[in-house]
Amino acid sequence: MNISFDFAHPWVLLLLPLAVLPLLRRRRDTLPFSYAPWLPRDPLGQIAGWLWRILAAITIFSIVVALAGLGKPQTQVARVGRGAEILVLMDRSRSMDDHMLPSDWRKLDRSLLLHHLGRGQPKAKVARDLLAKFVVQRPDDRFALMFFSTKPLSVVAFTQHDEVVQAGIAAADIGRGLANTEVGRALLAAIAEFDRRAYSGSRIILLVCDGGAYLDEPTQQRILAGLARNRIALYWIYLRSYNSPTLDNTAPDGGNAPEIALHNFFQTLRTPYRAYQAEVPDDLAKAVADVGRQQNFPLDYLEQVPRQDFSRRFIAAAAICCLLLLLGRSLAMRSWT
Amino acid sequence: MSEHREFHYRLPQRIGGWRPGSHRGSSLGAGQEFVSHMRLYDRPDPRRLDLRASLRNIQQEWLVRVNRQQASIPVHAVVDVSASMGFGSRRRKLDVAAEFIEALGQSTFKVGDALGMLAFDSRERTDLFVPAMVSRGMGDTMAKLLRTCSGEAGDAAGLQDSIQHLAGRRGLVFLVSDFHWPLAGMNAALDSLVQSFVVPVVIWDAAEVEPPTHDGLAQLRDMESGTQRTLWMRPRMREKWRESANARRRELNQVFAARAMRPFYVIGHFDSEAMSQYFFEVAA
Repeated sequence: MNISFDFAHPWVLLLLPLAVLPLLRRRRDTLPFSYAPWLPRDPLGQIAGWLWRILAAITIFSIVVALAGLGKPQTQVARVGRGAEILVLMDRSRSMDDHMLPSDWRKLDRSLLLHHLGRGQPKAKVARDLLAKFVVQRPDDRFALMFFSTKPLSVVAFTQHDEVVQAGIAAADIGRGLANTEVGRALLAAIAEFDRRAYSGSRIILLVCDGGAYLDEPTQQRILAGLARNRIALYWIYLRSYNSPTLDNTAPDGGNAPEIALHNFFQTLRTPYRAYQAEVPDDLAKAVADVGRQQNFPLDYLEQVPRQDFSRRFIAAAAICCLLLLLGRSLAMRSWT
Repeated sequence: MSEHREFHYRLPQRIGGWRPGSHRGSSLGAGQEFVSHMRLYDRPDPRRLDLRASLRNIQQEWLVRVNRQQASIPVHAVVDVSASMGFGSRRRKLDVAAEFIEALGQSTFKVGDALGMLAFDSRERTDLFVPAMVSRGMGDTMAKLLRTCSGEAGDAAGLQDSIQHLAGRRGLVFLVSDFHWPLAGMNAALDSLVQSFVVPVVIWDAAEVEPPTHDGLAQLRDMESGTQRTLWMRPRMREKWRESANARRRELNQVFAARAMRPFYVIGHFDSEAMSQYFFEVAA
């Protein structure tokens, strides 16, 4: 890290000579006295007098520097992280607003299941909470966040700053989802995020969605090639809703369901693929924990450090100095009587 | 100013000079003070024939009474008008000096002495020079001059410069100053006044002698040199302040005592009673 500074408005520095003003001898604030050698020597007073001037000089200096906008320019910092680059691809379609099955649904009467359906939490909320926890648990990983329904929407680019990711996850709560679930386009966009990035650690796309889609042949090919090119592992957390097919369905007609079709396509990938079927919140938690256990390799990357502005500190310093000066002024004698 | 504030002054020694006045003179003439008898031939003044003494005289000669004549003396005020005299917490010290000059004017006119003024800062201020004369309004005129004047930094050289007019002459000299300059040059100046009777009138302001009563940070500027001092006013500092004022007073007393002078201190305002008292004590 090199120490260098720059100024937002360097021409303001022309005012810097003003800081010398308080050091000059001035008559305004002094009481005239007839004969200085008469006065007793007072080192304490001498110090106070100098302090007064220096404070005033510092005040003007700080204000000028603050006006000039002293700051550290934008830099790039090389960091080493452990863990993976994880792109969270999250479904924002309307079906995600549905409720999850209650955890004891298997024991319930089938006829009353619909009634119990409203008890569970919305899938999106459960997913958000778990993802948030997941992000917290893995501080070394770099996360990117992308929502999709009809179109993919990149929310957070790869970053290690967890607050940003958390804020992105929280942002998924805003508004209602859209109708479609375009998994193909979303996956292509997610893969494109990894393009032109140096391979610095294991890469994961964490697809969180509750429904499948039929992918046409060209899209399948592109996904296949893209995942292979960027060496990305795909984890699919399938939030199964009531009445959806299960992924392990081997019934001959089961392949017609879009979820099954997608699962079958994913299984043909040359890159690692893993599917987690989450029906109840606990399943989802298990799936997330499993993903967390998978990947842990060191990771090198460059981070952009934005320009830091120090104006505030200088303004604060000036304010403190002004306060001290005011204090001194209230103590100062202005007249003889 | 019709206020009754004149003071009485008289000198411890006799004064030469022929001009009649009210001070004890050394010259013979019309006066109440008997000196001796002289022969009528030696002093042909038949009005003063002393018949009783003539009869008593063995040599049968006519004797004449010889008296001493009271003389008047020139009174000069040598006033310091340097910048430091412009200082004052309530009134400027120059105003106090002017007040003193007014009183002096009244007093000298009452006893028929001529009053003149010399002023100096770093050199003689000829614009403020007033020759010695007997005139009723002289004191007020001088006071007005003093009230409107302003000076630069003063020193003993200025004093020396101005009093060369008085060197070797007899008379009464009031040295009106705050003596806020190094006293080194003052001995030479006083040397030239050895013939006169000198009354140093030390005018100080109350704020100089007595430190400010409230605590705080005092940034002070010397009115003459412009040097700045910052004092943290606190009890200990006050003590030191009074100490240095007392030390200065002792120093002045010492310098003047070596020449048998006693300074008259005027702090804040001029007290004519005290001045009369001063002369009673000095001339006793």
